[in-house]
Amino acid sequence: MTRTLKLTGQTLALAAVAGLLGLLVWRLTHQTHPPKIGGPAPNFALRRIEGTGKLDLASLRGKPVVINFWASWCVPCKGEAKMLEQASRQYRSQGVVFVGVDYHDVTSDARTFLSHHGVTYQTVQDGSGMIGDKYGLTGVPETYFVDRRGRLVGTHIIGTITNQVNAFHSGIRAALDQ
Amino acid sequence: MLRVVAVAAAALALAGPAAACAPKTSLSYLEGQIMCPTCHTTLDMSEAPAAQQIKTQISRRIAQCWSAKQIETELVGNFGQGILAAPPHKGFDLLAWWLPLGGVLGGALLLAVGVWRWSRTHEPELPETEHETDPETERRLDELLARLD
Repeated sequence: MTRTLKLTGQTLALAAVAGLLGLLVWRLTHQTHPPKIGGPAPNFALRRIEGTGKLDLASLRGKPVVINFWASWCVPCKGEAKMLEQASRQYRSQGVVFVGVDYHDVTSDARTFLSHHGVTYQTVQDGSGMIGDKYGLTGVPETYFVDRRGRLVGTHIIGTITNQVNAFHSGIRAALDQ
Repeated sequence: MLRVVAVAAAALALAGPAAACAPKTSLSYLEGQIMCPTCHTTLDMSEAPAAQQIKTQISRRIAQCWSAKQIETELVGNFGQGILAAPPHKGFDLLAWWLPLGGVLGGALLLAVGVWRWSRTHEPELPETEHETDPETERRLDELLARLD
């Protein structure tokens, strides 16, 4: 009886240690690393804020894409909204697609933001922030450039594009050139 | 004048139901149940813009007499399960509730078994029985007792 109890206790302790080790290994092997410039842009299929259905980034392969992460509660995002909209119109004829990714936001407030700032390019919602995490987002706004082959190019812009106008246009040119 | 009265009557008619409904939950309760998505603390611990926005949304829904459950469901639809401070009591998430309880009970059981076993192996020695008296002393005691009788 005592021997059985001892064996059971030892087996349980070993199983607990093995389980904890397994969790540690899983955590270490599943850590997300920010994507590198020149590497593939993390794919996403997110719900559109206006309209229905989802937008799959992979469906835009063959077109240069500008991805802008924003949120309605983000004050600097308001400052760059007008310039982004203007740029989306300016580069539309060259086939550049602008995609807004609304990060950790309330849908109704996001819609109000889009309407207030006259945003016409497609915008999707990343409510859980999972895609933002995949991109290694440090905050909002942040802007990425994706070339026709789905690779990240140019300089990843942290902060508003209004403060980094040259990097913004260079990023679009880099996406167009590839 | 007639137009003003008509507008006031219409406003009262519309405002009536809203004012009549009693709030089903409170902001202070939900602030402890909902996480701030950008700072990973509950709303009552956060002043981040995202947290402020969610608090405003909750207040709006409370004013519309939504229940806590309805508000939580809407927020989960918007932000995902991670917005809840505690996992739901269903499906796989039940493990989060039962595992700690199981751990505590298992620990208590192991402790009880350990204490029981320890008490068995370390039972206090019984007090020694009286020393046997030698035959001579026994004889003398018997004599004394006989005299007393």
